[in-house]
Amino acid sequence: MSNEPGDRKRSLQRNGFVVRKERFYGRLIAATAVLTILVTVGIILALSGRALTFWSAVSPIAFFTGTEWSPIINETYGVLPLLSGTLIVTVGSALIALPIGLGAAIYLSEYASNRARGVLKPALEILAGVPTVIYGYMALVYVTPLIDGVLPFSAQLVPPGVPVLPEFTFVMPSLRTFNALSASIVVGIMIIPMVSSISEDALSAVPDSLREAGYGLGSTKFDVSTKIVVPSATSGIVASYVLAISRAIGETMAVVMAMGMSPQMPYFPNVLRNLAESSQTMTAAMVQIASADSLGGVTYEAMFALGMTLFGITLIMNVLAELVRRRFRETYQ
Amino acid sequence: MGTENETTEDLRRTDGIDLAQLRGGLFEASLVFATVVGIFALAVLFGYIAFDAFQPLTASARWYLLYFGTLVAPTAAYTLYVRRRPAARDVNAKAFGVFFGSLMLALVTYIVASALDPKDVFVYAIFGAVPPTLVFLYARISDDRTYTGPLVPVSIVGGLAAGGALFDVVRPIVGIAQEWVAYFGFVTLPVAGILGLVVARRYAAKSTAEVGVADDDWRTVMGRQAKYRGGLAFGAVVGSTLVVVVAALVNGIDPAFWVVIFSGFVVPVAYVVGQTVLDDADGRIGVAGPFVVVGGVLVGAIIERQFAIQGLESFLTPNLLLNSWDGLNASNAGVYPQIVGSIVIVAFMALLAFPVGIGAAIYLEEYAPASGWGGRLATLLEVNISNLAGVPSVVYGLLGLALFRNALGFGTGIVFSAAGTLGLLILPIVVVSTQEALRSVPDSLRQASFGMGASRWQTLRNVVLPEAVPGTLTGTILALARAIGETAPLVIIAVATTRYTPPEGLFSAATALPLQIFAARSSAHAEFRHGVVPAAAVVLLVLMLLMNATAIVIRNRYERRS
Repeated sequence: MSNEPGDRKRSLQRNGFVVRKERFYGRLIAATAVLTILVTVGIILALSGRALTFWSAVSPIAFFTGTEWSPIINETYGVLPLLSGTLIVTVGSALIALPIGLGAAIYLSEYASNRARGVLKPALEILAGVPTVIYGYMALVYVTPLIDGVLPFSAQLVPPGVPVLPEFTFVMPSLRTFNALSASIVVGIMIIPMVSSISEDALSAVPDSLREAGYGLGSTKFDVSTKIVVPSATSGIVASYVLAISRAIGETMAVVMAMGMSPQMPYFPNVLRNLAESSQTMTAAMVQIASADSLGGVTYEAMFALGMTLFGITLIMNVLAELVRRRFRETYQ
Repeated sequence: MGTENETTEDLRRTDGIDLAQLRGGLFEASLVFATVVGIFALAVLFGYIAFDAFQPLTASARWYLLYFGTLVAPTAAYTLYVRRRPAARDVNAKAFGVFFGSLMLALVTYIVASALDPKDVFVYAIFGAVPPTLVFLYARISDDRTYTGPLVPVSIVGGLAAGGALFDVVRPIVGIAQEWVAYFGFVTLPVAGILGLVVARRYAAKSTAEVGVADDDWRTVMGRQAKYRGGLAFGAVVGSTLVVVVAALVNGIDPAFWVVIFSGFVVPVAYVVGQTVLDDADGRIGVAGPFVVVGGVLVGAIIERQFAIQGLESFLTPNLLLNSWDGLNASNAGVYPQIVGSIVIVAFMALLAFPVGIGAAIYLEEYAPASGWGGRLATLLEVNISNLAGVPSVVYGLLGLALFRNALGFGTGIVFSAAGTLGLLILPIVVVSTQEALRSVPDSLRQASFGMGASRWQTLRNVVLPEAVPGTLTGTILALARAIGETAPLVIIAVATTRYTPPEGLFSAATALPLQIFAARSSAHAEFRHGVVPAAAVVLLVLMLLMNATAIVIRNRYERRS
C-alpha cells in the first residue's frame, strides 16, 4: 500500500533496455542520413584528386582556352570544342522544351479539366522516364532520316535588288548521320516534363485571390493567365528552366548516340550549320575515354577533369535554381 | 431605364469579330498543342520501334482476323461487361495484378536463382531465414517481446554471416540433393508459410467480425481453429507441390522450373481465384479477366499452328529472350545474359540503396531537430540531397570508378560495382520520395501515439511507417525503373557491353540490357539496326513500363483509400 506511488512511478519509466534501443535506432538512422553527405564528399574527393593530377600535367589555362580536343591521337586537351558541343545541344533542346513546357504548364494549371489533367500529367511524366539510350537510338535511326527527308532546304528571304537590305538566302544543309539537330530534339522532348511539372507547381501556388481580382476587373482568361498568373510565378518558372537546362547539360547517352564523337568549334556566321554537323559534348568525350581500351595517364585523368567541370557547372545551376525558388516560396506563404 | 440599357450595351462586346475571344481561343489551342506535342512525338517514335520490332506487315490478313476473333473481340466484350460493375472491376484489377505479378515474380526468381546457382541461394536462404523465424516463433509464445524486435535483424545478419563462414562445410551437403529441393526450400516453403499465415489471420478477422463481442473461451477456440486452418493451407501447398514434383520425375522432366512456377504462380492465383469465387458473389465474374486474355492467346496459337497461318515474322521471339548475343545472325541473337544482368544488378542495388535512402528520409522527417547543430545538419542534408538529384549520371559513373575500382580494388564491370554505382545514383530519388510519403502522414496520428505512451521508435514502427508504405513503395519502384534504364554510369565504370553468360555471383562480371542497345546501335546489318535492337528496346521498355504501372496502381489504390 505504502509503496504504491513508487510502483506507479517506476511503471511510467521505460525499461533501460528500451531506452538504449531507442538511442541505438536513432543513431542508426542518423548514420544513414550522414552517409548521403558522404556521397557528395566522395564525389568531390574522387573528382578533385584525379582532376588536380590532370591540371598539374596540363595547365588549367590551356585546358579552358584550348580550341582542340584530341586526347587519344594528338594528346591535346582544349575543352572549348566540347563546351561548344554542349552549348549547341543545350540551346537547341532549350528552344524546344522551354516554350513547350511552359505552355503545357499553363494549360495544366489554368485551363485543363480535372479529368484531362489526370490523363495528361502522367503521360507527360513518361517522357522523362524513357531510358536515354532509347532516346538516342530513336534520334539516330528514326529522327535523323525523317528530318533529312525534307533537307537541304533553302529559301530566299531577301531577293536581289531590294534596296538597303543585302541579299539573304536561308539555307539549312542536309544532316550528317550524327548531328546536333536530332540530338537536340530528343533531349528537348526528354526535359519537357521537368519544365512543365515544376512550372505547374509554381503556377498552382499563385493564390486564387489574384485570379479573382483579375476577373473582377473584367479581364479575360487569356489576360489573367498571361498578365497575372505567369508574372506572379516567374521565379518558379525560371527555376524550372535552370533545372531543365542543367539536365540537358548533363545528358549523356542520347547525345553520344545521336551527335557522334567529333569535337568541333562552332561554325560562324552560318549558325544553322552547327545543327547539321556532328559534334561532341563533354559527356560524350567522357564516354569515349571510358570505352577506349587501356588508356593510362593523362587521358584517363582528363575524364575526371571533364567530370569536375561538368559537376561544377551543374552544381552552380542547381544552387541558382534553389535560390530563385526560395524567393518564390517566401512570396506566397 | 434608358441608362440601364446603355450600361448593359457597354458591357457587351458588340464588334463584328471579337478579337479578344479569338486571341483567347488561339492561345488555348496553342497550349493544348504544347501539352500534347511531346507525347505525340514520343508515341510516333514508339510506333516506329514497335513497327521494326514486330514487323506487322509480314503477317497475313487471316492471322489478324484469327487473333481478332480469339483475343481482341472477347477481351473487349469482357472489358465492356465488367466496366459497368464496380465490384467486378475491382476484382478484375486484383486478378490481373495477382496473375501477372506472381508470374513475373516467379520467373524473375527462377532466372536469378538459376543464374547464381540455386544451391548457393538455398544455403544462404536457410541461414538468413531460419534464425529470424525462430525468434518470431519465440515472440509468439512469450509475453516479453522487448528483445525480439531488435533480435530479428541481428539474427538475419548473424545467420548470413554464419552461412558465409560455414559455406564450405554446408555446400557439399546441399550439393548432394537435387536442384528442385533447393527451389522447394526457398520458394515453396516461404509461399506455403505466408499463405498459412494469411489464411489463419483472415479466418480470425472474419469470425471476430461475425461474432462481435467475444469472450476469452471463444477466442481460444477460434484461435485453435485459425491455427488449424493455417496449418492445413501450409500442408496443402507443400503436398500439392510434391505431387507436381513426383509427376515431373515420373515423366522424366526436371521438376525445378515447375516447382517455382507451381508454388510461385499457380498457388497464389488459385488462392485468390478460389477465395473470390467463394466469398464475393458480386465480383465473382471479375476473376475471369486474365484467363480471357491468356486463353485467347493460347487458342489463337493452337489454331495458327494447326492451319499453318502466316504469322508475324517478329524479332521479339523466344530466341531473343533465351539466347545470348550473336553479332552475325539476327534470328539467333538474344539478350538473355543482358536481361539477367539487369535484373541482378537492379535487385542488388535495391538491397544496398533502399535501407540507406529510407533511413535518411526518416531521419530528416522524424528525428532531425529543428534548431541547434542537429538542425544545421538537417538543413545541410536537405540542400545536399536536392543537389545530388541534379548531378549528371556520368559523374556518378566517375564516383563508382574511383570508389569501387581505384579505392576498393574490385574487378572491372562486376555486379557489385554496377549495383553500388546505380545505388548512389538513385539514393536522392529514394530519399525525396520517402520524405514525401512520410510528410503525408498526418501529425495527429503521431501525437495520438505519443499520447498513449509510445516511444519515438514505437510510433515510427507501428504508426508512421505502415501509413507511409504505399507512398514509399511508389517512389522506390520508380527509382528501380529509372535504374534499369541507366547506361552512362555503367559505361564509365567499364561494364562490358556484350557478354555471353549471365552473372554467376555478386563479384562476377555482368552486362545490362541498355548497354547492349548502346553497343549495337549502329550495326552495319539492317536486320540488327531495324530489328534486333528495336526488339531489345521493346523488352527494356516493357520491363520499365511494368514497374511504372505497378507504382501507379499502388498510388491510385492508396489515394482512393485515404
